[in-house]
Amino acid sequence: MNLAFVGGTHRTVPLALRERLAFSTEQATEALRRFRERFPGREGVLLSTCNRVEFYTAGENDAVPPLPEQMVSFLAECRGIDAHVLRGVLSGESDGAAARHLFSVAAGLDSMVLGEPQIVAQVKQAWSLAQQNQTAGPLTGEMFQAAFRTAKRVASETSIGRERLSIPSIAVADFARGVFEHFDDKRVLLIGAGKMAAETLRYLREAGARDVVVVNRSAERAAALATQLGARTGRFESLAAELAAADLVVSTTGATTPIVTPELYSVVEADRGSRPLVVLDLAVPRDFDPRIGDRPGVWLYSIDDLASACAANRRSRQREIPAAMAIVEEETYRFMGDLHHRSTAPVIEQLRAGWSETGETELDRLFRRLPALDESARAEIRQAFDRYAAKLLHSPLASLRKESRSGPPHGLLDALKRLFDLKD
Amino acid sequence: MIEFVSGISVVCFAASYLVALACEVSRLWFRSGLRGAAMVGFMAAGLLAHTLFLVWRGVNEPAVPLSSAFDWYLLAAWVLAGGSLWLTVSNPRTPVGLFMLPLVLGLIGGSQLSSRDPFPQSPATQIWGAIHGGFNLAASVAVAIGAISGLMWLIQAGRLARKQAPLQGFRMPSLEKLSHTCRRTLLTAAWTAAAGFVSGLVLNAVNRQRGLLETVPWNDPVVLRMGGLVAWLVVAALMSRAVRRRPDAARTRAVLSVVSLCVLMISILWGLFGTTRHGVPPVEMAQPTARGALP
Repeated sequence: MNLAFVGGTHRTVPLALRERLAFSTEQATEALRRFRERFPGREGVLLSTCNRVEFYTAGENDAVPPLPEQMVSFLAECRGIDAHVLRGVLSGESDGAAARHLFSVAAGLDSMVLGEPQIVAQVKQAWSLAQQNQTAGPLTGEMFQAAFRTAKRVASETSIGRERLSIPSIAVADFARGVFEHFDDKRVLLIGAGKMAAETLRYLREAGARDVVVVNRSAERAAALATQLGARTGRFESLAAELAAADLVVSTTGATTPIVTPELYSVVEADRGSRPLVVLDLAVPRDFDPRIGDRPGVWLYSIDDLASACAANRRSRQREIPAAMAIVEEETYRFMGDLHHRSTAPVIEQLRAGWSETGETELDRLFRRLPALDESARAEIRQAFDRYAAKLLHSPLASLRKESRSGPPHGLLDALKRLFDLKD
Repeated sequence: MIEFVSGISVVCFAASYLVALACEVSRLWFRSGLRGAAMVGFMAAGLLAHTLFLVWRGVNEPAVPLSSAFDWYLLAAWVLAGGSLWLTVSNPRTPVGLFMLPLVLGLIGGSQLSSRDPFPQSPATQIWGAIHGGFNLAASVAVAIGAISGLMWLIQAGRLARKQAPLQGFRMPSLEKLSHTCRRTLLTAAWTAAAGFVSGLVLNAVNRQRGLLETVPWNDPVVLRMGGLVAWLVVAALMSRAVRRRPDAARTRAVLSVVSLCVLMISILWGLFGTTRHGVPPVEMAQPTARGALP
């Protein structure tokens, strides 16, 4: 075993325990320092996000990675949690399964929101922290580079992370942006103070919206929200005038009947001219009568409309899972093949050294018997010997590489050692 | 090099555009970065061959360069192909080629049905001929761009009305941008077509005075169809302005833009298959040409 990981995710660890288990950057730095002292010669990378805590370890030759039980105890000790509690919820994998798991994590396939792109940045941060604390090494280096490559391939070769999944982001990116090219010259009207108003406004601000007016039945609440959002307030009594001046409306009131009726909108429509109006009605029950959506120039979206688009995007992501998993498998196979081949390096080195030594001995003997040879002739002969040795070595080395793809080539290595009298 | 350039034929760049169009159509079924690169590559190769072909014809034309109906169609296709390449590179997620390349190929197809003979012109009429052809070219390009914008507007509005998220790799520009383009192209098409028509009348008068070409009668098919096209474009521009304060102004402009292209295509087809005395020298007056008139 060269690679291993121990950890837990949102699926296995309850939120309360996950909060206790999570590491801040300072705590992670301290944990890596302790790891270096406790397990000298081993490599370790700690990944801690709000949804997962995972410790990846690696070691070569005699410095095998710590056992899972040791790592659980180590994590428990670092976070001051009873190790018995953690043993029930943390799990681990080794070698190919560990690599496959990391690749899936980096590609967002193990995330709560499938395909979310933030995780790869978090994995990079974890790797960077391990490098800073000198617990990273060649094995984890290769594994994490392969993980980043996998994440990049999944992102570029599948559309798993492309469609948006939150209602406010879909409302702004897929619908409001379909109507408006620019938002910096548009007026945004926020009616009510529902939960999604602030998040929707955040996306609108990112899109360039500057002119935001908050309207609420309670002037105090409107003022408080406007201060919080950096907007200005309007009077609820002047709703018709505000609607006439607005280009985009986000409505999130708790009203039990529509606050904007077709009759009210008819009054507003006359003052709007040809300017289109986008209405994101995120209230339940709805704030805008759905018949207003039939008026020319009005693009009315209720929360159900946006939720349907959300669900369609989620289904679209799910459909991409097989393609993404195929990439993970391909990269795991490639990485493990390289890793296994790496274990053959000492034997290959001995084999090459042995043949080179024999060749040098024979060349010396030959050159002593043929003293008339000039330097260029000697160089030619030397090159011919080297080529001959390389050609003879080619087949066994190719067989070793091929065998490495399906696991450590112990059988072939033993055979080579016995045939050529190589020492461990 | 000269041998290479002289060997370029219409088939070379038409085939490149066709492959680029096939690449663009394939985006409806699958995504691939390679496909986008291949599409831009074929479009660029086609445009390069197209440019070299026109330059070669311009240099080797014994009469006024690029003055035949054949050249006019290819010039219009060249402008649209250049615009299509530029828009594809600057907006890779928008399927611009899907809309523009069929028009480019249609114009190239139109060129094959047109006369390659340049219109006989004296130095005095060359300027008016260039103005006439230039305005007609600008009007046609404006109509084509407006129609593409109008069609995109209708598709985008349909998606937004059905409350569907956009397809990956098939993102349309915003309604605001498309409507703005429709409005500007309707206006541009109207005045450039009108200027082209008026300059044609002046050219006709100069030709009659010089005796280079026979007078084109008012009931000649070219005069009628060009007059009809200009009338429609002016009406469309006026309608676009008249509805500017109405909530459905954007939809009206989109529909007007698409209809304008239909009118232009009818006009072109009429020109391709009708008989005319437009651009016919006096010696050929007894046998009016059956094809090859400029739109």
